[in-house]
Amino acid sequence: MLFTLEETVALINEGKALHIAADDSLLQKLPKGNWIGGSTPYFISEDGGLFTKERLFVNELDFAEEIRIAEYGKYNVFQIVEEGFDNGLTILIMPYGSEVAAKYSKEAPNVEELIMHPTIGWISGFELGTAGEAKVYNGSTGQAFSDKAVAMYIRLPKGKSAMINMINIFSDDKTDPVIRFSDNELSVRKCTVNGQEVDFADYIEKKGIDPGMPLVADYNGAYINTSIKGVENGEVSFYAPVFKDIEYRFATHVDDYAAEFISRIAEAGARQPVLSFNCILNYLNGALEGKKIPPYTGPVTFGEVAYQLLNQTLVYCEVLE
Amino acid sequence: MDAVVQEKVEKVLRGELKYTSTNLALNMMISKMQKRLQADAGSMEACMKEMEAFMAKYPIVAKVDLANIAAL
Repeated sequence: MLFTLEETVALINEGKALHIAADDSLLQKLPKGNWIGGSTPYFISEDGGLFTKERLFVNELDFAEEIRIAEYGKYNVFQIVEEGFDNGLTILIMPYGSEVAAKYSKEAPNVEELIMHPTIGWISGFELGTAGEAKVYNGSTGQAFSDKAVAMYIRLPKGKSAMINMINIFSDDKTDPVIRFSDNELSVRKCTVNGQEVDFADYIEKKGIDPGMPLVADYNGAYINTSIKGVENGEVSFYAPVFKDIEYRFATHVDDYAAEFISRIAEAGARQPVLSFNCILNYLNGALEGKKIPPYTGPVTFGEVAYQLLNQTLVYCEVLE
Repeated sequence: MDAVVQEKVEKVLRGELKYTSTNLALNMMISKMQKRLQADAGSMEACMKEMEAFMAKYPIVAKVDLANIAAL
């Protein structure tokens, strides 16, 4: 929930294990302690979506029996699969635009052991339309980074498990053309459409495809989005990579984004998520400012992690017996 | 995993039975195993070992989803 700076400092000084999201101007003022943090001024609170640089979103991780905190660069970020607790949960925060986030986004789906370690997280950001810099914080040292990931490893009590899930409003139409890419890339010029190589930017333009619709890949009924960041000089860039050997289709059009999002929230039926991270594109396109979406409260993010990097989704974690 | 459940899980991995979980990790796992089997049909034994390790790691999933798969 949202706290003032003074209230957050008090929680840290009590020695609580905390996950904190706030504008960087507030994170800079926090004392050392058992916390990790990431920058964003957008939130979904109990009172609805809001933009604030005056309060911090704090998750008290009371279910943790033990925590460890570490930071990683692009060369060692996948040590997270070796360093987590056997029965645990890993929270991972990476700065938007960082090399470590790019590395993680490209390689996470191919890291064999990752799925055996419940990992949830988000990409930190800044106020849109400003020249802000995304930051992450290792509260145990007080250090801030714009080029490293920070991880908190949480040991769960025996008999409890972390279950990570997502809410995604997009799906595909199996009669639409299949799009494939030749490599794992964050930007592309070429792709194949039903097996025929085409210029992807031309294809989008000629077919009149709305680039606000993500590409979706069907992972056994779980649709994973890849959102288009921009189309410039014949190159199509993405917020998360496309992968070779994965079939994509453009998501079917959503007439009323906000209504669809609220409907999917109601269907998901999570009881007591302990963490929840919602994409800035959902916040903007779903007109979530001022809207309540209980029980999902948390930071609004520039990317979500549920094992791998996701786009345009809400990810959440429940700790269940 | 008993023989009946194992047979059903193998059918799901081969795409002969359709099963979508409400659990993201299991769907990712099934998708991964299906792709592996499409590339190498002889890898079922290794896939089943991974599925068993997955189910041991996530007992809640094992309890609910294996029962659902058995009922397919």
